[in-house]
Order: sequence, then C-alpha cells, then structure tokens
Amino acid sequence: MEALSYFLTAWIDPQLLFLVGLGTFAGIYIGAIPGLSVTMAVSILISFTFAWDVNNALCLMVGIFMGGVYGGSRTAILLNIPGAPSAIATALDGFPLARRGEAGEAIGIATVMSVLGGFVGIVALAVAAPFISEFALTFQPRDYMLLAILGILLVGSLSGESLAKGVVAGCLGLLIGTVGLDPLTAEERFTFGFVGMWNGISFIAVMIGLFGVSEALGQLQHVDTAAVKQKISRIVPSFDAVRKYLPLSLQSSSIGVIIGALPGVGGDIAALMAYDFAKRTTRNPEVPFGEGAKEGLVAPESANNAAVGGAFIPMLTLGIPGDAVTAIFLGALFIHGLNPGPMLMIEQPTMFWFMVGNLTLANLFLLVFGLTGIRIFTKIVEIPKGILIPLILLLSVVGAYAVNNAITDVYWMLGFGVLGYFMKLYGYQVGPVILGVILARLIDENWRRAIISEQESLGQFFARLFASPLSVSLFTLVVVLVLSQTPLWTWARRRRVRA
Amino acid sequence: MDLHTTHEKRAGEDLFGLLFLVLSVGMLWQSYAIAGFSALSSPGAFPLAASAVMLTASVIVVVGNLRRRRGIDDGPVLPGSVAVFVGLVAVYAVALGPLGFLLASLLFLFAGMKILYRGGWVASAVIALGSLLAIYVVFRIVFQVVLPEGIVPEREWMAAIGNLFSSGGTE
Repeated sequence: MEALSYFLTAWIDPQLLFLVGLGTFAGIYIGAIPGLSVTMAVSILISFTFAWDVNNALCLMVGIFMGGVYGGSRTAILLNIPGAPSAIATALDGFPLARRGEAGEAIGIATVMSVLGGFVGIVALAVAAPFISEFALTFQPRDYMLLAILGILLVGSLSGESLAKGVVAGCLGLLIGTVGLDPLTAEERFTFGFVGMWNGISFIAVMIGLFGVSEALGQLQHVDTAAVKQKISRIVPSFDAVRKYLPLSLQSSSIGVIIGALPGVGGDIAALMAYDFAKRTTRNPEVPFGEGAKEGLVAPESANNAAVGGAFIPMLTLGIPGDAVTAIFLGALFIHGLNPGPMLMIEQPTMFWFMVGNLTLANLFLLVFGLTGIRIFTKIVEIPKGILIPLILLLSVVGAYAVNNAITDVYWMLGFGVLGYFMKLYGYQVGPVILGVILARLIDENWRRAIISEQESLGQFFARLFASPLSVSLFTLVVVLVLSQTPLWTWARRRRVRA
Repeated sequence: MDLHTTHEKRAGEDLFGLLFLVLSVGMLWQSYAIAGFSALSSPGAFPLAASAVMLTASVIVVVGNLRRRRGIDDGPVLPGSVAVFVGLVAVYAVALGPLGFLLASLLFLFAGMKILYRGGWVASAVIALGSLLAIYVVFRIVFQVVLPEGIVPEREWMAAIGNLFSSGGTE
C-alpha cells in the first residue's frame, strides 16, 4: 500500500504530472530530429536541472528518455534516418511502408507497440527486478564479450546480402571504436601521433555521418521525384491489427527486457535482435521483410521500449548502466545525491516506486502524444526535397559540432557521410559499423579481463567457457550464425534434403 | 560465406572492395605496431583480431566481386550533385568558425536551396532565413547549444532584444 502511494506521487501532483508530460512530448521530437539525441538532451538537462528538486528533475528526464526512445522511430519511418540507434531496425521496414504512402498506419502501429513494450518493461522492472539483476550478476566477462560479438553478427546478417560485407563493416566499426588512448594502459592506438586523436573519434559524428549525411547525399539523385503524399487518414490501428501482432509484440518485449537488463547493451541491440527474431519466426508475412513488413516494425518497436524498463533494472539495483542514456541518467542520480545500487532498494524504496510510477505515466503520455501529433509531423515528408536536404545537412553539421564544440567532428562526420554513401551504393550495411563503434570498448575490456583471469592461457579460457552453460549457449549461437552463412551450410542442407 | 549476392555489380565496386582490403592490411599493420604479439591481453590484441577478421572478410568480398558480372549501367556512381554538396558542406564547415553559425548557415542554406529547389532568389532566401531562425531558436535558445559566433555580433543583438523587452516591461 505504501508502495502504491509512492507510485502515484507524480500522478496526483499537478507540477510533476506536467513535467512528465512535457518531457515525453519534448522527448518524441528530440528523438525524432536527426542530430539531436536523447543522450545529448539528457546531458544538457543535467546542467539545467542541477538546482531543481530531485523529483522534478527525475520526472522531466524520465519523460524525455521514454519519449526519445520512441521518437527515433518517426524519422526512421518517414525519412529512413533513425533518430536514435534504437530505431535502426525500425527503418528497415518502416521506411518502405512510408514510401508506399502508409506512414500514418506505420506510426500508429509503432506507437501502440512501443507503449505495449513499454508496459511489459515496467512490469518486469517492478516484479522481476531482483531476479533479473541476480541473473546478470552471474555473467562472466567472456559472456559480455560473446553477447556483443553476437550482436554485431546479427546486425551483419540482417543485410541479407552477404555476411562478409556485414563483417567488414562491423570490424571497421570495432577498429574505429578502439581509436585513442587505451582505457586500461593509456597506450596510443591508431592516433598516428596526433594529440587530438587521444579521445578517439566521436561516436555521434560517425553516427550522424553514416545515417544523416549519407542518406541526404543518396537522396540528391531523387530530388525531382515528388514526395510521397502520406496517407494519414488512419493512425489508430484497428483492434484486429493489434490483436494479430500482440503475440509477436509480447515475445519481442521479453527479448527487449532481457537485453535491456544486461549491462552494456540497450535498446539498439534489443531492437535488432527482436527484428531478427521476427524475421526468422514469421512464416508468410504479407509483405517480405525489408519491403514494408509490419512484423518488422512491431518487433523492434516493442523491444526497444521494453528495454527502457529493462535498462532501469541493473541501473537502479546494481548501479550499472544499461546503455549510453542510462549511463548519463545514472550520472544525474549521483548529482542529485542518490546512490543507485543494491542499497537504494533497501534504503530508499520510495525512490524505486517513484521511478516506476513516472515510467508508467510517461508511457501513457506516449500513447496520447504518439497518436495525436502525427498529422503535423508527416508534413515534414511533404516538404520538397530541395528544401529538406540542405536542412538535414545543416542539422547534421550542428549536431556533430554541438557534442564537443569541435569543427574536427564535423570533418569526421562528412568523411563518414561520404564513406556511408559508397557503402550503401555497393551493398554494405552501415548498421554494423555503428554497433561496432559502440561495442568495441566492451568487447576489448571484457576480452582482456577474461584472458587475464585465465593467466593468458587460451586453453584454460576455452575449458572454462565450455564448463559454463551460459557461455556455451552464447558461443554456440555465434558459431551457428557464422556457419549458417557459409556454402558449407547450403551444401549440408542440400545433402540432407536429397537423403 | 555466402557469395551469392543479389544486386548486380556496379562500376567501381571492385575498387571499393579492394580499398577495404588495403585498409584492413594497413590496420593489421598498425595493430601489430601497438604491442606486437606480446600478450593476449595487450592493448593491441583486440585491434589485431578485429583487423585480421576484417581482412579475411574483405578477401571473401573481393573474390566474390570477381566472380560476378557487371550489371547494366544504372547511372553514374558519383553524380555531380553529390560531389557539389560534399564540397558545399566542407566549405560550410570551414566557414563556420570565421563567419559564425548564423551567416555561414544562411549562405549554406541559400546556396543549397537555390541549387536543389530551383526556386527564385527571393523564395530561396525567404525559406532559408525562416528555417534558419527556427533552428536557431531550438538549438541556441531552447537547448543552449554553443555555436560559433564568428563576425556576427550575436551577443549584442541578444542583449539589445533583452533590453527592449525589459524596458517595455517597465513602461
């Protein structure tokens, strides 16, 4: 009963209610505008809300977080530019739907499924927090490493064209991610003697270049094609449609919660894994995946919002961030004098239930704002491309510059924009590059932690790996995924069919 | 790995594959230079492994490319407009510091829209100015993003606008 009163704190206080609503609304637009990231907004907000009451600050930031994860899907659907990494998978089928003039319906389904996924995540946070965090505690460094490798391979296999090209892209990302001073030994890696390279290449610059600039450059050839008039007569999806995709949404949400709860990986990987899951399990989709399958929209959107609740589990119970946004969020909690970790649940259960209540409220606001603001929003695609492309490029430049106030980041962004343009032209996916950049540090550190604990012995490393059911399962998944893309697999299957 | 790619080979695809191959050789060399084969936990071990995998995959891609035939020519690989815009963004980035955000962005938007939108001088200028103002309000004023000021006396303008409001308030 006491928990319920903490849960409802923000629901009955008009000021807090307004702040959650404002945060959610702003989050949707921040997530949607390419170049403006939730990470950036929350980090700027920390400096704004520094002097605020902790409850007010948390309400605003929870709203922005929830809205931002969802907002990325809008530009992914309308412009094929994921506003946030968690919307990369959404663009794969969302954009083809918009091109067919079904943007309204696509956004409607994405909204309802995001909200549904969000609730699954919140329920998981409230009910299963202790269990899931205990499970994550048993993870060894090698398991984190295997999970990250699995993530990159999954994204690589999503291209469908060639795993080899996906692997090239993923490795390129991993190498970009290692540029700078080694975090453990401070040794220089790929800095070529430049002090300016010590901090590495800005991830935001790479992301904006590969997704914003290269997309804008690619669209230059189609400037004269009239923008597809978006059919937005139907936004609220029919009950039948919701019921049809409900099982997939719930399954994807479970993936989202589990992936989100794992430290180091967040909504982006959850969305990609759920997309892959949907692609593999959906028999006879109405439209093939990659060409506008609604299943390809339902899975990532449910999963990435479910991952928000999931990401809060290790953050609040262990003090470990689930991804970049939760990492900044964690910083905000510290600034406001809170100490997330196992003791938070014991000493300040009020704070835990207050957060759960805020998340639930933000999720409800998401449904309201998600289903109502679309008509104005879809006007963006009806702006002639001759106006839109210079604007996208301008926003990209501003976004890349604003992260570190450095022109160098703009040059990096432009370089990656040109690279991304050619990569797309020749059938290389750019998604694995970004994932590689995000996960490079995680893989590197966990590999070294794992091998040091085995006294630098590969034999011992594998002996331990095969002794742990979790590690064996992850390792087998990685091997099977690679083998399934080789001619060997096709040959074996053909033989079995013949036999 | 799967060599049965679906799209037809485009002009320059062999060269692009080769560039990645050369890049991965270079990265392998640079990774080796970090710490050699000193230890499995050395700072160079992970980059070495990543570039070795990249090299292997690049070889597979290049061999796969050689096996495929060129498709029908479907337009230039680097159209003039793409080259022009890459140049335009580069000039914009260079001008951002000395000219300042407002002036450089206005010129960039105007030039970009004049080339692409093919509207009149006035239409392009009005749209460029309007959208720049909206972006300025969102980024500079709402989000307080620090943008280069350059030769534009932005701070004086803001102060003047502020004074206008405050004096209006006291009257």
